[in-house]
Amino acid sequence: MTEVKSPPAVPSAFTFVESSQDIECYRLDDNGLRVLLLPQDGAPVATSMVTYHVGSRNERTGHTGATHMLEHLMFKGTERFHKRKGTSIFETLQRVGAEVNASTWVDRTNYYEMLPTEHLPLAFDIEADRMRNALLDPQDVESERTVILNERDRNQNDPVSRLFDEVWGAAFVAHPYHHPTIGWRSDIEGMTPDDLRSFYDTYYWPNNATLSIVGQFDRRETLEEVADQFGRLDAANHEIPQVTTDEPEQTGQRRVSVKQEGQLGAVLMGYKSPPATDPDSDVLDILARILASGKGSRLFRRCTDQGLTSDVFGVNFRLRDPSLFSVFAYLAPEAEHEEVEEAIRDEIESIRADGVTQDELDRARTQLRAQTAFDRDGSMRVASQLNEALAAGDWKLYTQYLDRLEEVTTADVQRAAQTYLQDDTSTIGWYVPTAQ
Amino acid sequence: MSTVPSLAPRIQDQTVGPARVLTLPTSVDDVVSWRASFLTYPDLAAGDHLRQKLTVSLLDKGTQQRDRFELAQVLEDCGAKLDLSSDGLYVDVSGRALADDVPKVMDVLAEMLRTPAFDPEEFEKARAQVAADLQRRMEKTGAQAASALTRRLFAAGHPNHSAAPEEQLRTLQQLTVEDVRAYHAHHFGAEEWTLAFAGDLDHDRIRSVVAEAFEGWAPHDAEPVHETEPSPEAPGRSVLPMPDKSNVDVRIGHALPLRRDDEAYPALYVGNYILGGNFAARLMNTVRDEKGLTYHIGSGLSGISTRYAGYWQASVTLSHEALEAGVEATLDVIEEFVDNGATAEELEAKKTTITGSYTVGLGTTRRLAQSILTTAERGFEMDYLDQFPRDIEALTLEEVNEAVRTYLRPQELHEARAGVRPEPVETPEHSASSR
Repeated sequence: MTEVKSPPAVPSAFTFVESSQDIECYRLDDNGLRVLLLPQDGAPVATSMVTYHVGSRNERTGHTGATHMLEHLMFKGTERFHKRKGTSIFETLQRVGAEVNASTWVDRTNYYEMLPTEHLPLAFDIEADRMRNALLDPQDVESERTVILNERDRNQNDPVSRLFDEVWGAAFVAHPYHHPTIGWRSDIEGMTPDDLRSFYDTYYWPNNATLSIVGQFDRRETLEEVADQFGRLDAANHEIPQVTTDEPEQTGQRRVSVKQEGQLGAVLMGYKSPPATDPDSDVLDILARILASGKGSRLFRRCTDQGLTSDVFGVNFRLRDPSLFSVFAYLAPEAEHEEVEEAIRDEIESIRADGVTQDELDRARTQLRAQTAFDRDGSMRVASQLNEALAAGDWKLYTQYLDRLEEVTTADVQRAAQTYLQDDTSTIGWYVPTAQ
Repeated sequence: MSTVPSLAPRIQDQTVGPARVLTLPTSVDDVVSWRASFLTYPDLAAGDHLRQKLTVSLLDKGTQQRDRFELAQVLEDCGAKLDLSSDGLYVDVSGRALADDVPKVMDVLAEMLRTPAFDPEEFEKARAQVAADLQRRMEKTGAQAASALTRRLFAAGHPNHSAAPEEQLRTLQQLTVEDVRAYHAHHFGAEEWTLAFAGDLDHDRIRSVVAEAFEGWAPHDAEPVHETEPSPEAPGRSVLPMPDKSNVDVRIGHALPLRRDDEAYPALYVGNYILGGNFAARLMNTVRDEKGLTYHIGSGLSGISTRYAGYWQASVTLSHEALEAGVEATLDVIEEFVDNGATAEELEAKKTTITGSYTVGLGTTRRLAQSILTTAERGFEMDYLDQFPRDIEALTLEEVNEAVRTYLRPQELHEARAGVRPEPVETPEHSASSR
């Protein structure tokens, strides 16, 4: 549970907000930047990660893909960190051995560096600089547009990636989870430098971001460095726009199919699920494990072990807004889509009707507990988990996870299956390979 | 250069029955990771690659003591991970568990390796799984291009040769459960059986766990028969048309007469790093950043071991429209680099990159265990883990450019393209042409 410890002695630029488990949360008073600290023992390595609370859910029609495109442009530099000066962001960070990258998804965009602790100030310097001083040069926009179209084409090469987009596109008709994060091709082609500048000026502000620092570091020194670098930035002088569209209730099953040349088919079954912060989301994590994770799971035994699928797994996509509990099944060579879909539906029906056993629940919980310990092995993994909790709307989803799982009962799992895994709120997708 | 705590003095290296056991305690709480391997010496030219793959895939499908679900349950009840895979001359093992659960996982591992059941029904399922994996690989442009390049450079008996998936599917159908039993009998055993553990561990406890689990496991009697040198075709291009692909994967490369313990290896490693090792390398800088022709481009030294020679390859993904321009730009960068070499500034930058990322890379128990095992497999002393950054620091520009000039040969490049649009008429399955 959240325990508010007595605040550690920290630089005066910060207000201690709260702590949960071993993570401390601060606010940089001048501009509202949130800072999370998780000090660890071990090698002199740390991860710095800036999470912006903007993702493809914040995009409007005609501008899909803006978040991701902007993420690319953020590496093209600022006046201080620029290729023409031999100080490009990648070059400067990789020179000190940093593992550096960024990613964009529906609810967030994150930029991260895992690097020797002595170079943490460099990471802060770059991230603070590009938070408000990115150049977004029109020439760079043009060359990066081709790169992004190539990235999109690569995704389109994979039929299951297409299937994923089709299922989400059908499941969400009003909410912006409808469109793929990388954007529609025509929107990528038509995005102007001004569009990107406007997006940047709307969302890239310290009061719409969280800086997480995980690894071996000194708390005071690190916070002082953060204050020096980020404290120079102003907060936004406007309200950060919020997404207000609710997805209307789905009242009947939707079906899509993707036909593309290939060898083996796939089935994706998505069921409308609650937001990540809803307690039922924990229950659905357990259900995904019992249903389709590992060789003891129901669907492995029913499908993969019986030669219907080559792989089957369940993912409860925990997002800020209502999302999809999903089952992915890759068909075995002789299997038919109908029989695989039927088998999955049967197993779901069996849980809805008869529930799960205490053994299944205990095993799922133990696996998630072990997974949580494994995720503490190295600073990047922790940062990545924290990133998704931040995106979902509450970073303590990460720290309180195991406590919440303890409260889940077999009755909860059955009730969640009955509530969410219904045909009428499902979207079923088939990838049907066509012959050469 | 960042200060890296020395690893070698903290690693215990022990012989435990038939095994070499290397253990490194770290500050992580409650987690132990491991990597392990033994040599199998497959007869690759005779199709042992698939025999080995099938054998490994059956290890978790039941033993003489427990069925497949009982085995899985031991692991899943404690959330442990245990994976076995076939990797050329080796069978590899990897996994992690909470510290208290290591004994039961080692017990399961020993059972799988030593007394698998090889049930005929499970064999049929495993074969179907391997077939499905191969069929999925056929859909992937990257896998197809990479595999086609190796066929241009290596004969079937070389560990770097990857047979065409269609051919593998045909071979797979011929295999029987008896083949798998025979393969296990002749190629599975404690031949250079090495286990590396890192994490929240006690040296002595791990030693006794391994001793108990693997006591009496004998080496097998197979001898090495693999080819050790490349046997490239004349430089040329393999083209694999694939309909419905919006993106083409291209691999460009040639064989390298070089082993991992060759003196020139570190210089060539750094030379390649400058050319295509990361986002700040020349290929990425030019073909992606300046010309905007690709999402991904890079280059690397591949398949080089102390037991056999490997190859150098660049990989680039391109849209159909940018294909020719992208390949041309890639070749231009390679040629220019070989002609004029790296600059002193580039060398200094990459030295700090490599030594810094080495520190960063050792930040998890998984990567530590892997590095320890790889060092042991190469026959290097554990001191090498601490020596590697110093060797990189000591390189001169002359050494790096000499290695680049000696080993990278633009005039000998082969190319493989997968995902190009099929010709409307006369579509050969695989066509080859000289460049």
